[in-house]
Amino acid sequence: MIEGLLLLAAGAGAGLFGSLLGLGGGILIVPLLTLGFGLPLLTAVGISLICVIVTSSAAAGVFLERRVANLRLGMTLELFTACGAMVGGLVAFLLPARLLEGLFTALLMYVAITMVRRREASPAEPVGQTLPGAGDESEREAAARALRPPAERPARSFVDRLSGPEYRVRRIGFGVIGSVFAGVASALLGIGGGLIKVPVMHVVMGVPLRVATATSNLMIGITASASAIIYLLRGGIDPYVAAPTAIGVFVGASVGSRIASRIDLRVLRGLFVAILLYTAWQMLQRAIA
Amino acid sequence: MTASNPGGLSGSATGAASARSSQDPGLAGLEHSIARLLGVGTYISIGLLAVGVVLMAGHGIGPLSGGPPFDLTRLGPDLIALRPAGFLWLGLLAVVATPAARVAASLVGYARRGERAMAAIAVLILLVIATSVGLAQALQG
Repeated sequence: MIEGLLLLAAGAGAGLFGSLLGLGGGILIVPLLTLGFGLPLLTAVGISLICVIVTSSAAAGVFLERRVANLRLGMTLELFTACGAMVGGLVAFLLPARLLEGLFTALLMYVAITMVRRREASPAEPVGQTLPGAGDESEREAAARALRPPAERPARSFVDRLSGPEYRVRRIGFGVIGSVFAGVASALLGIGGGLIKVPVMHVVMGVPLRVATATSNLMIGITASASAIIYLLRGGIDPYVAAPTAIGVFVGASVGSRIASRIDLRVLRGLFVAILLYTAWQMLQRAIA
Repeated sequence: MTASNPGGLSGSATGAASARSSQDPGLAGLEHSIARLLGVGTYISIGLLAVGVVLMAGHGIGPLSGGPPFDLTRLGPDLIALRPAGFLWLGLLAVVATPAARVAASLVGYARRGERAMAAIAVLILLVIATSVGLAQALQG
């Protein structure tokens, strides 16, 4: 009973932190389950995938309702994230746990450094998976922009159809490559892969940040599903642990999306970086032990 | 959660949404239907998992005691007998199936709109998911 409540609280904490800071809960769930509850890494990754699917489905519904996510672009790219995730899900069972722990340590360090660099950035610049906040000003602006009368350019080609009224998608090839990598990373590490997809879409493909974030969220569901099925059928998901953790993440992310505008994220971000670095150190010790 | 009521958009945004909907009501309707599907799928999944967790507590099962592996043939009997594993596995299947259901709905929507390229992409995504299932089952055996 106590363990169940602890898992629920851990999931809620991961979902809350992830939602407030615009990162997926996966980055925290895997270390929480391995270091905190002693679960094998593969099981933790499988459960984390379930959690990111839940958060993605809830968030994607809202983003689509608000017409911020680009459904055509998301579906086109998620074909490749799903391929990457399928390969990653199969490879994960062949790789030694220490290698995966080493990769996860590198991921934690990368996220910590990225967060330090972005310290001055606006909180409305999520890079991973997040639930949309209620009444988010920049999102309303983005929605309004996207909903203006269509530009003069008629939608003729496939790329035109993937583009929005105020932006034209470019360098689809880079998007495809980035999506495959994001899918592999998602399957190996139990994350949504937004850390790769959002920069690729925004910086390389010319998609506005808010649309890229929403579209990435939309894609996470199928990406994680492609590998979660493999984990599920190969015994990589423990239902007794997965259920309370997923419920906790869902509740935590929902609360986080509602209170994000009232929280001073600078302090929270500093705390999060400290947690990430500590977790990275613990994971590194585990990898080299 | 704000899946069904996305936090209350401002009047200008919702007004603009209406404007766009009138320009392309088919696409707006498709996205609205998919949004509803994702919201409903999420709530059903979480509901099933919550029932499973309550039954676990009722049966005195600790979450770290090691859950049973997935076995499709046991799903029905476990649900009928109100065993936690049945609801937990059904909930987890619902979690994994919700995004695939979204793609299937997109396939139907785009096919109705005559967008062959998008319909073909949806078919390919579903094929990748089916391949994942097939490969996992083959490796399991």
